[in-house]
Amino acid sequence: MKRIVTLLLALSLLLCVAVSAQAEELVDGKFAETKHITVEIYDRGNDGGTDPTDNKFTDFIKQGMLEQHNVEVEYVKVPRWTETQEINNLLGTGSAPDICVTYDYPTILAYAGMDGVIDLNPYLTEYKDQLPNLYSLLGDYNIFYDQDPENGSVWAIEALLAERARINTFVRKDWLDKLGLPVPTTTQEFEDMLVAFRDNAELLLGDDAAHMVPYSTSYDIGWRNDHLLTSFVPDAVTDEELYINGFDDRHLLYPNYKEGVRLLNKWYNMGLIWKDFAVYGSGDTTEDNNIKAGFVGAFMHNWDYPFRGAEDSIHANLKRNVGEDAAYIAVECFQNDAGVYRKFLADSIDRKVFFPSTNDEPLASMLYLDFISSPEVVKYLQIGDEGVNHEVTADGGIATLTAVAPDIMNSGMNIDYTITINGLELFDEDLTNKSKALNYAEVEPAYVINALECSTHDGRTAAHYNLPAISSEEGMGTPLAEKRDQFLCQAVTAPEDQFDAVYDAGMADYLAAGGQAIIDERAEKLAALGE
Amino acid sequence: MKDIQPALSRQTPVTSGRMSWKQYMRRFGALYVMMLLPLVFFAVFRYAPMIYILQAFKQNNIIKPLFQIPWAKNHGMEWFIKAFKNRDFLYALRNTLTLNLLDLVIGFPAPIIMALVLNELTFKRFKRVTQTIVYLPHFLSWIIISGLALRLLAPNDGLINIVLANMGMEPIHFLDKPGNWVWTYVALGVWKECGWNTIIYLAALTGISPELYEAAAVDGAGRFRRIWHVTLPGLRPTIITLLIMNLGHILGSEFDRPYALSNKLVTSVSNTISIFVYQYGLRGSQFSLSTAVGLFQSVVGVFFLLGANKIASKFGERGVW
Repeated sequence: MKRIVTLLLALSLLLCVAVSAQAEELVDGKFAETKHITVEIYDRGNDGGTDPTDNKFTDFIKQGMLEQHNVEVEYVKVPRWTETQEINNLLGTGSAPDICVTYDYPTILAYAGMDGVIDLNPYLTEYKDQLPNLYSLLGDYNIFYDQDPENGSVWAIEALLAERARINTFVRKDWLDKLGLPVPTTTQEFEDMLVAFRDNAELLLGDDAAHMVPYSTSYDIGWRNDHLLTSFVPDAVTDEELYINGFDDRHLLYPNYKEGVRLLNKWYNMGLIWKDFAVYGSGDTTEDNNIKAGFVGAFMHNWDYPFRGAEDSIHANLKRNVGEDAAYIAVECFQNDAGVYRKFLADSIDRKVFFPSTNDEPLASMLYLDFISSPEVVKYLQIGDEGVNHEVTADGGIATLTAVAPDIMNSGMNIDYTITINGLELFDEDLTNKSKALNYAEVEPAYVINALECSTHDGRTAAHYNLPAISSEEGMGTPLAEKRDQFLCQAVTAPEDQFDAVYDAGMADYLAAGGQAIIDERAEKLAALGE
Repeated sequence: MKDIQPALSRQTPVTSGRMSWKQYMRRFGALYVMMLLPLVFFAVFRYAPMIYILQAFKQNNIIKPLFQIPWAKNHGMEWFIKAFKNRDFLYALRNTLTLNLLDLVIGFPAPIIMALVLNELTFKRFKRVTQTIVYLPHFLSWIIISGLALRLLAPNDGLINIVLANMGMEPIHFLDKPGNWVWTYVALGVWKECGWNTIIYLAALTGISPELYEAAAVDGAGRFRRIWHVTLPGLRPTIITLLIMNLGHILGSEFDRPYALSNKLVTSVSNTISIFVYQYGLRGSQFSLSTAVGLFQSVVGVFFLLGANKIASKFGERGVW
């Protein structure tokens, strides 16, 4: 014990020396000699996009950093859809950029356990005065969200999720009109609507009647049916229960979830759900093509899914392929036992920003985070240049325009560059709200306003408890998520009389493979917190 | 070996024993210099990295230098114990064995039969065209083939099942019923690799003296007799060698083939060791565990290779070495 204390003291002394040595270098927030840092950037490989490491927006940041802090910024691209694997490779080979970003906190924890990640706490406290923008944008809640309550270490900063909307249920408005059906407001009405779609395939699709898909979903059952599944969770569920059963981000372990899956199984066997959904994997475009071709009556997805992508959006495609009146609208129809359209919203956290131990310029990197959190920078990155990336409407709102290279934003609102925030933030609540609905080129604002309202109405955010790391979770994220998707797919597609057997066996396997250990450890640590 | 020895010594009548070391090097030195580069290659890229096998016995850490990482628990055997206690690993082991055995039983004889058939074709241009067509799939990646498989074989939207449905028949669940998936997997493997593997046999066939066929024909042997008594014995050394090599891979597993062809409904038969390593090791950051599994795989593979070789030499074949 004595030795450890001595060691810690020596280390903190060293750190102080190192930190104070650096402190002297800063004059007016500027380094005396030019520093160089590398920053991870997602590469989406979008059609007609620019090089994510070198374009008009990176030039803006690079120039600003050089002028304000005398720091040279270099971007390193990482493919968006395989980012976790890629960042693993980079960390493992010691070649990760100085500033890394990932959605996968367990990966950061795993490397922190191998001394592969820098503890940000000393820098955050020592340099608080140099980081006004970071603190004002994120607040202590996000900055110290992942702080270890025992030793105070902060392995990552949580970016701010400014837009809390998650998921929506979409139905084809023009189909409802054609069949003279009202907008569904209960689970039963939703089911009746799907049956009507199925039975009127000839009328709705003509020669393409064989392609009729009343309700579409994917292998990601939990996400793609979220509103339905969580409507089966009792309204009286406590925050403690939600935390203890909250490891899975699809809410698999929430009470009574199984009954929601049972309903999906019933619908599947009634021929209401796309028959082949389970054989297509992540990134396959078959389902999107079905939706764009106008074959799909209803589906659940990200709250703004049909509106994303301007000319290539589902919304624009439907207009071209089917007709002017063809469109999806967001609806609310799944009430819980208290009659509330409850949705479980995400906490205000988004991507996790961390510095690998190979980062030799933690202070310069901190200043980078502060720079991109400043209101002017966030604003410019999110809306770009007037007349090119956006126009100002008569009532002062900011409307997004379709831009092409070299002015194109490779990600909506340049979210890939604003790594400390996700969601429109114009630092004027009224302006932000007004502009949100104008944020989708080619889409009428009314659709977006309705979608935003439906997605967040009656939302509930589970409480956050600052507990020590749950060791049984280490490395289990992917294997358990795989198991979840597998058995949910198998349960939904099972014959109705085998549903219980398939679901129970799958759940038992999930729990035995590590799920139960996580639940137990969470319960134990939560109980210890209360003592 | 015995009948080869005299032939060799006839070609090189002066043995090293009678030569001085200097003379020997002057005569054969160039050969050793030529050997140097491949030897360095193997030493640097094949043998030196093996030191990282130690990771299997060490704590999970890939940031620290290997020798500074402390040993794993249970005398370094922690990860092996963990793997064998993991049901997913045991299923993966079973699936790997099943799929590889089926591949061996069905996929191994296929190119031999194909080579025999091609060899019997008298119309040479047709033979050449056929040969080219059957080996082309070898150059497609499994990702492309899995895409093709989905378009053709999907339970309701696949071309074949659309045709079946139009003929009033029930769809065949090629991809979404575990039992059928295994056969689809094996059949696609044969389709992809059969033609390519035929090349080796066709090459061996050219080495069989035409005189043997003529002699057999004079003795009144028909086509099948000639295949049985001349062609197949001529291919035997090649077949045995390839069989032994294949047995060495019995526990080895490709990653892209099961991963690309699999879907959520058939994981009970499609999760192989390579997928286990990918999910737990690479994506779950458990590098020591996956190294341990890889080491286990290799050791079993070596035993199969040695065993098969031994059996082969017992039956009077030369084996691989």
